Amino acid sequence: MPRARLALAIAVLAAALVLPQLGGPFWTGLVTQMLIFGLLALSVDLLLGHAGLFSLTHASFFAVSAYTVAILQVRYGVPTVLAAPAGILAGTLLGLVFGLAVRTRGVYFILITIAFGYVVWGLAQRWSSFTGGDNGVTNVPFPAVAGFAITSHTQYYYLVLAVVILVGLAYRVLVRSPFGLALRGIKGSETRMQSLGYRTGLHLYAAFVLSAALASVAGVLYVYYNRFVNPVASAFPISVEAALMAIVGGSGTLVGPFIGAGVLLGLRNWVSSFIEMHHAIMGAVFIATVLWAPDGLVGLAGRIRARLFRKDHG
Amino acid sequence: MVTSAILQAINGVSLAALLFLLASGFTLSFGLMRVVNMAHGAYYLLGGYIGLAVAQKTGSFTLALFAGGAAIAVIGFFIDRFLIRRTGENHLAQVLLTVGVAFVMGDVALHFWGGDNLKVPVPMFLRGAVELPGGIVYPSYRFALILFGVFVALVLWLLYKKTQIGAVVRAGVDDREQVNATGINVDRLFVLVSALASFLAGLAGVAGGAFLTLYPGAEWEILVYALVVVIVGGLGSLEGAMIGALIVGLLDAYGRWLLPEFSYFVLFGPIALLMLFRPRGLFGREH
Amino acid sequence: MQPRHPLIRSSIAALAALGVAAAAHAQSGPIKIGVLAPVTGPLATPGKDMVEGWKLFWDQAKNTAGGRKVEYVIADTTCNPDQALNQARRLVHQEKVHFLVGPLCGHEGPAVAQVSKETGVPLVMDAAGADTVTKWDRTPTVVRTAVSASQIGHPFGDYLYHELKARNVTFIAQDYTWGHELTLGAARTFTEAGGKVARILWNPIGTKDYGPTIAAIPADTDAVVAVVVGADRVRLFEAWYNFGMDKKKKIYGQYWLLQDVLPQMDDRAIGMFGKTANYAPGIDTPENRAFTTAFAQQYKRLPSWFGESAYTAGLWTKAAIDSIQGNVEDRAAFLKAMRSVTVKAPRGPLKLDAYDNPVQNVYVSKVQKIKHPVLGDVLTNVPVKTYEGVSQFWKWSPEEFLKRGPYKR
Repeated sequence: MPRARLALAIAVLAAALVLPQLGGPFWTGLVTQMLIFGLLALSVDLLLGHAGLFSLTHASFFAVSAYTVAILQVRYGVPTVLAAPAGILAGTLLGLVFGLAVRTRGVYFILITIAFGYVVWGLAQRWSSFTGGDNGVTNVPFPAVAGFAITSHTQYYYLVLAVVILVGLAYRVLVRSPFGLALRGIKGSETRMQSLGYRTGLHLYAAFVLSAALASVAGVLYVYYNRFVNPVASAFPISVEAALMAIVGGSGTLVGPFIGAGVLLGLRNWVSSFIEMHHAIMGAVFIATVLWAPDGLVGLAGRIRARLFRKDHG
Repeated sequence: MVTSAILQAINGVSLAALLFLLASGFTLSFGLMRVVNMAHGAYYLLGGYIGLAVAQKTGSFTLALFAGGAAIAVIGFFIDRFLIRRTGENHLAQVLLTVGVAFVMGDVALHFWGGDNLKVPVPMFLRGAVELPGGIVYPSYRFALILFGVFVALVLWLLYKKTQIGAVVRAGVDDREQVNATGINVDRLFVLVSALASFLAGLAGVAGGAFLTLYPGAEWEILVYALVVVIVGGLGSLEGAMIGALIVGLLDAYGRWLLPEFSYFVLFGPIALLMLFRPRGLFGREH
Repeated sequence: MQPRHPLIRSSIAALAALGVAAAAHAQSGPIKIGVLAPVTGPLATPGKDMVEGWKLFWDQAKNTAGGRKVEYVIADTTCNPDQALNQARRLVHQEKVHFLVGPLCGHEGPAVAQVSKETGVPLVMDAAGADTVTKWDRTPTVVRTAVSASQIGHPFGDYLYHELKARNVTFIAQDYTWGHELTLGAARTFTEAGGKVARILWNPIGTKDYGPTIAAIPADTDAVVAVVVGADRVRLFEAWYNFGMDKKKKIYGQYWLLQDVLPQMDDRAIGMFGKTANYAPGIDTPENRAFTTAFAQQYKRLPSWFGESAYTAGLWTKAAIDSIQGNVEDRAAFLKAMRSVTVKAPRGPLKLDAYDNPVQNVYVSKVQKIKHPVLGDVLTNVPVKTYEGVSQFWKWSPEEFLKRGPYKR
């Protein structure tokens, strides 16, 4: 990693470590949320930025995982050490089923994922005897494993930060691996990859299931943060926003989705306190991103940096 | 029981008529221009509100229909020209861009018309109900909507299949480059089809606003239904939009009657399954 | 006995002055209240009513309570629980409010209660009405000044059987917690009196088309009861007439034609049962007449349930603050005061029961056209029967009720 980038990464990490002391409970909570939704956005981006598939159903895995953890812990007293993996497993299993959508491409894929998302949302809302209906499941405790229990939001923040960093590193390894390369090859031209002998369908399916697993991890982190879950977690806007976070931040990069999450959540929490038409502002942000910054903020930063460097070197 | 079944069927068909108005434009836009316009729902809502304003001012429902349609045709033209055109055939970008447009339009509508749900006033002669054999009483307006839907479907079908312009559009849907090569101005064709699609969406808003009412969020609810119609019927196919609308309308009505707690499942489940085995929909083509 | 030495005298005076100043400083800053309401989003209209009712009260009270100035911060929850959570945290940690008021949307309740539980900041729930908050899922720092859903359902079932003489009814009900608890509460008292529920037709919030529902009403049912909210109210009304049902069956609004939707209605609504709830703008008491007149003068319309609820929350919290001389820093004292004061609200006399929910009147109301001193001819809900001092447990003992569990679909 170039030295400047390393220095930047260290600075950001240092800031992240002292955030609770400097920012207080509100900012700690908000950044925890940004990390969680950033992870969800990252899961969407694995498909979007690397495989070229635009999924609008990732809220389904997110929510199924969250509900599984919540129901197990609250209703059956299952401890975190079992409930959390169960949540990830549940979301991944759903990914195995929904992954069949990769039999389609392009617009059809997008539309089918939308339909899938609505099925899960509909069940979360209507199957009240199991999911609690629109009240959802409440009183989820903080995670506790083998005598080591989280007791405050500050502690939870550090846990989330650690998980996100670990997952992020694993993600980096994945996308730089031959598998990642193959995915990007498929995104560029599927027919060419096929002619080279790649089983593109299998690759895409595997990518889909992996991204579902990633979204499930985000779902587990989410339910322990909110300590409740309800159908809103599975709703269409969550999936849309996850994709938008990835794009606004910079699709195809590791930090892009997190930056996007920061921007969108920051906008919503901060701007909405003094501007009424904040939906319109978000809409304007999307339009501007698509037209002028399709690489997102990361891409924009890159271009600005390139231009600065060009100046220096005459 | 039979009475109920018949009633539900008519309900389904009247919803289908409305959905067809919205979906037909969407599917043709895609078929010809490969454009996915997620702001179609917002077109419906804004068109409805504008039609409402006109109806309140002039007392004429017909004028409201035209006004709603025309206003959106104009707005749609500008959005197409200055925004959507810039995304080329990048569907991803189109989806995002048009979602953004829909957000903006939604907030603008909220600003002017507020959050209450408003009803477009129905013309006097359509206010009552029709008495059908078997003692079934059915709202006249919804009957009229079915007839109107059939009328529009016929007109579109005739235009599409029997006129020269229609032939060119069909050729364009099949193979755009070829049509361009023959010297026909495909660009102008796009503008025409796009304007028609927008017009129908705005008109649908006025028609729908008279019995489903207009309110923030309606644009997304109706869009989801329209998307399902288009998925089932096949993108780019007019017949697909007709059959798809019927299927969705009837599934919705019967689903809600027989299995109300699983209504979303009844609607989206079979469709998801259909997609897995026939991704292009019933009448879609390879593109 | 006055000390003689002037130095001692002045020292004592100085010390006393310092002591008073210190005490005054601890309590001289303003009282800060955090209000959570959906200012934007799907429930923006009731949200607006709430904010306006709240503002009206504090304007009248000159923004003072317990001898201190009162400031409030309004936070927009957009009816989204994640947003409600963040805003509640912002109010507690950034704005440093002494207590929270709200939220409106039912599913935001747990989120905000969560923040109250974690931080110990008291929460006054002035709208969200899920039964469980004051029954099975109580939080010590949360009190409710509004109503528990089934509390207004039970009396209606009784009225339906004994006064309306219905024996076989069909419910058209909204499929979410509030709808479940209202409907099933009424169904319980109705069936226990001897009535039969033919069918309950559940519709999700935002059902566009009431055609299929109407078509599913059993032919032999006596009457239809409506429990619908939001946009669905107008749709059901129109569909009822469009399908000619007004000539075929009776329909009673258990929770249907609330004040906020009446301005859009026409004279067909007159004479219909609009709602059975703990408030109706047509209540004829001096308190309510004063309230509705002031509200009408300020906002050019009659207050709805939401407006009164927020106004009364102001009234109630001020009464509590006054009784503890403004010492809201002592959270336990504030909560104790909330639990012990009796309030004379526009909707009637109110006091919290042992489970932190008010015991209050329930009014069965019909829509009438009245001549309002400020607004002239206006449609509003006027009580035709008052059930006095109704508890959230109706006539059962709390233990019996709790053992039965929540009303579930």
